[in-house]
Amino acid sequence: MKSIAVLFAILFLAPALWSQQPTGDVEGAIRTYREYLTAHPDSLEARSNLGAALSRSGRYAEAIAEYDLALSKSPDNPVLLLNLGLAYYKSGRPADAATRFERAVSLAPQFKDQVTLLLASCYNTLARYKDAIALLAPLENEKSADLAFDYLYGTALIGDGRNAAGAAVVDRVLSQGESPEALLLRGTLRLRAHEHEGALTDLQKAIALNGRLPGAHARLGELLVAMRETERARAAFEQELAVDPDEFTSNLNLGVLAKQDQDYAPARRYFASALKARPNDPGVRYQLALLDVATGNRDEARKSLEGLIAESPDFAEAHATLAAVYYRLDRRAEGDRERALAQRLIDRQEAAQTGAAPR
Amino acid sequence: MKWPVKWCLAAGGSWLLFSGWWLGARGQETEPRRPHFTDIASKSNFAYRTDNNFTGRKYFPQTMCGGVAAFDFDNDGRLDLFFTNGAKLPELQKTGPRFYNCLLRNRGDGSFEDVTAHAGLLGKDLGFSFGAAAGDYDNDGFEDLFVCNAGPNVLYHNNGDGTFTDVTARSGITKPKDVLSAAAAWFDYDNDGKLDLIVSNYTVWTPQTDKICAVDGREYYCHPKVYSGVAHRLYHNLGNGRFEDVTEASGFGAELGKGMGIAIADFNGDGYMDVFVANDTVRNFLFINQKNGTFKESAFEWGVAYDESGNAGSSMGADAKDYDNDGWPDIFYNNLRGQIWGLYRNMGGKSFDYVSGVSRVSRLSARNSGWSNGFVDYNNDGWKDLYSANGDVEHMPESREHDTMFENVDGKQFRDVSSSLGADFNHSGYQRGSAFVDLNNDGFMDLVVTSLDEKPRIMLNSADNGNHWLLVNTIGRRSNRDGIGAVLKLITASGRTLYNHVTTSVGFMSSSDKRVHFGLGAEKAIASVEIRWPSGIVQTIKKPRADQILTVTEPAR
Repeated sequence: MKSIAVLFAILFLAPALWSQQPTGDVEGAIRTYREYLTAHPDSLEARSNLGAALSRSGRYAEAIAEYDLALSKSPDNPVLLLNLGLAYYKSGRPADAATRFERAVSLAPQFKDQVTLLLASCYNTLARYKDAIALLAPLENEKSADLAFDYLYGTALIGDGRNAAGAAVVDRVLSQGESPEALLLRGTLRLRAHEHEGALTDLQKAIALNGRLPGAHARLGELLVAMRETERARAAFEQELAVDPDEFTSNLNLGVLAKQDQDYAPARRYFASALKARPNDPGVRYQLALLDVATGNRDEARKSLEGLIAESPDFAEAHATLAAVYYRLDRRAEGDRERALAQRLIDRQEAAQTGAAPR
Repeated sequence: MKWPVKWCLAAGGSWLLFSGWWLGARGQETEPRRPHFTDIASKSNFAYRTDNNFTGRKYFPQTMCGGVAAFDFDNDGRLDLFFTNGAKLPELQKTGPRFYNCLLRNRGDGSFEDVTAHAGLLGKDLGFSFGAAAGDYDNDGFEDLFVCNAGPNVLYHNNGDGTFTDVTARSGITKPKDVLSAAAAWFDYDNDGKLDLIVSNYTVWTPQTDKICAVDGREYYCHPKVYSGVAHRLYHNLGNGRFEDVTEASGFGAELGKGMGIAIADFNGDGYMDVFVANDTVRNFLFINQKNGTFKESAFEWGVAYDESGNAGSSMGADAKDYDNDGWPDIFYNNLRGQIWGLYRNMGGKSFDYVSGVSRVSRLSARNSGWSNGFVDYNNDGWKDLYSANGDVEHMPESREHDTMFENVDGKQFRDVSSSLGADFNHSGYQRGSAFVDLNNDGFMDLVVTSLDEKPRIMLNSADNGNHWLLVNTIGRRSNRDGIGAVLKLITASGRTLYNHVTTSVGFMSSSDKRVHFGLGAEKAIASVEIRWPSGIVQTIKKPRADQILTVTEPAR
C-alpha cells in the first residue's frame, strides 16, 4: 500500500530504520545476508538487515518472515518492530502494521515522532478516524505547515464527519496551492457533503494532475456511485486498483458490482482483498455471507451471519438476510424471530430519518 | 381487424425499415428484425396532458402522475384509453380542465375521440389521481373503472351506454382518512366468480402535512423515508355492487408498506391468486393466498422481500409473468437509477431466485429510473421481454430518460434493444404510467405511455417482423366474467409450450389489455390452448388458428 503519507514519511523514516542496509546492489546484499545467516543464524543485526533489503526490493512477505524470525529471539526490539510494521504497511496490511507501530512506540517512546504519520495513515485506512485524530490533534499547532500532516489530519476529520474542522484544514492546504493532494481532500469533503458537482471537478482535476495519486480514483468511484453512474464508477475503481491493488473502497465496491452481476468468483476475490485492508470489517463480511447465500452455501451463510449479528446486533440487513436463510433452511421459528428483529431495527432507523437526504 | 394500409404506412414508415433490413441482410450477419413503435397521439384531437401542477414547490405526489387504463368500455372490439391526472396544489382539487382525467374512444382508424365529459369521467370532484384499474366487477359484460387518489378513491360503474356512474358511496369502498392510494388491481381471490379489489396505499398525506426537504435552500422531493407506511387494502366483492373491507380479516392489515405497483398471479399453482406489491424503500410484500379468505405475507420466505444485498430499493412498477416459459410466473419490478431492477425466477412454485445478475438485467438497468413496467412479448417471438417507462424523480434536464426494452434471449438473458425501436420509443422525458394494449388488433402489442407535463404517447407497434400470434379473450361464466386469474397454456405444432394468465394489473398506476397475448415466432400452427379457469374448470381448444383474436367462453362445467 502506498499513500501520500508514506511518500512523505518514508523520506524521513528510511534513513533511521534502514541505516544498516548496504546501498547499491540490493539483490547482492540479500544474497550476502543469507549466506552470512547460514553460518550465523542468531545474528539479529544481519536478519534485520536482510528484512530491510527484502523490503527495499518489494519482497515484503519474505521480509516479514525474516523480521518475525528475528523478533522470536528478541520480541521487544523496537527497531525490529518498526521495520516489521513498515513491511506490513507497504504490503497493504495496515492493521498488522498499526499493532507493530503501537508496540514499538510503547517500548521506545523516542520513536513516536517518526511513527506518528505512518500510524495515522494506518488508522485512516482502517477507518479508525477517531484514533487518527487523537494522535494528530495534539500536533496541529506544531505541524500545521506540514502538508503530509495536514493531509492525514484532514482525511481523519472528514472521515469522522467533522466537516467544519476538516474544511479548515482543507483551506490551509489549499492556501499553499492547488496540489493534487489538496484537491483530493477538498473533493472528498464535497463528496461527503453531497456537493457532487464540486466534488467531481476537484477529483477530476486532482487525477489530471497526478493520475497515480493514491485514493483519488477511489473517491471518484464513490462519487460516481452516489451520482448513479455505475459503469463509470466501475472504471474508476479499477483504475484505483491499478495504483494500489489493496485499496479498500475500490475492492469493496468492485466486489459489490461483481456480485450484482452474479460474477461470484471475482466478487469473492475483491472482498478478500478488502478484508486484507480492513480485517473483520462487518460490511465486507456481510457481503461474503451474501455470496454464500447466492451460491447456495446456506449453512456457511447462516454461521457467518450469526457471528456478524453477535458482534453487531443492530445490523438490520444482516438480520433480514439471516431470516431469509433460516426460512430456506426450514427453520421457521428462527426465521420469524430474525424477521421481527429486522423489522424492529428498520422501523427504528426509519423513525430516526426525518430529514433524509435526497433520494 | 387490420387498420387501413395507408394509415399504417404513414404511421410506421415500414418500407424504409424493410429496405434497411434487406441491405443489412446482404452484408454481414444481421440482428433479428425488430418491430418499432410510432406515436400516433398527434392524429387525435384531445387536450389531455399529464399535469402534476409543478410550480416550484415540490409536493410529494407530483412525482406520480399519469395513470393509464386500456379497456374496451363500449364493447366495440377496440380497446379505449383512460388517463388519470393531477390536481391543483395545495388545494388538492381538479380546479379546471387541465387537471381532468380523460377517456379516449378508439375510433378504429388510428384516431381517438375524447369522450370524457359524455362518459362522466372528468373527475371534477376528485383530488390528485394516480392509478386506474379496469374490471367488470358486476359481471354485466361492461368494464368498470376504479381510480386511486390522494383524497377519496372512486369506483365508476359502466352503464353500458357510453356513460359511467360514480357508485363509490353505495359500494362500501372506503379508506382511512388522508391515505394516498397509488394503484389498484382487480382479481377474484376466493374464486367465487366476482372480482375483488386490492389497493396499494403509500402513506398518509395531505398538502398541509406535506414535508419540505431542501439543501442549501434548494428544494427537492423528499426521500420516502420521511413518510410512514400504511396498510394496503383488500375489498371483498359481496355482489349487488357492494364490497366489504376485509383488510384486517385477510391479513393485509398487519403489514405496513409504501405501495406502488401490484402484480397478480398464482405463484404456487394452487388455483388461487396471490398478490405481489412493490413497496418504495421498504421491503416488498408477497401475499400468498391461504385459500380460506386470508393471506400470509411471505416475501421473506419466498426471497422477494429485499434485493440480493438485503436492501429495500425504491421498488416502483411490478409485473408477474412467465418469462422463461417454464410454467411458473416470475416477478419483475423496477426502481430508481443506481439501483438494480429486480428479476426473480419462480423456482417451481416454492420460492424465487434472484436472477438480475445472470440475466444481465443488473448491468442493463443501473442507468435508468423506472416507473411503470412489465413483461411484454413486443416482437411476438414467444419470449416475454422487459419494458420500463423511465425518468428520474426530480425535474431536472439531466433526469429526462427514455423508455427501455430489454429483449429476452431464449429465456435466459436480456439485451437492451431500445435504440432499435424508433425515435418515438426513445422519447426523452419523465415517463410514468404505461399500458400494453393491441389497439389495432393486429396481434402485436402497442404501448401507451404518460410523461409528466406532456401529452401521452400512443405508440403503435409496426408489426412487421413476420411473426405469428394469438390473442385470447376469455369470457367467464362460473368464473368472473373477465376471466381474470385464468391460466393459459399454449402448445405450438412443434411442441413449444408457452404460458400466460389473465390480468390487467401491469406496471405502475396502470391497467393493460386483458386479452392474453401469445407470440408464436415463425410458427403458424397451434396444437392446443388449455385454459384453467378460476372456477377450476379446465378447457382445451384443439388446433385453433394462429393470427386471430380467439374469444373463449368458459364452459358450464
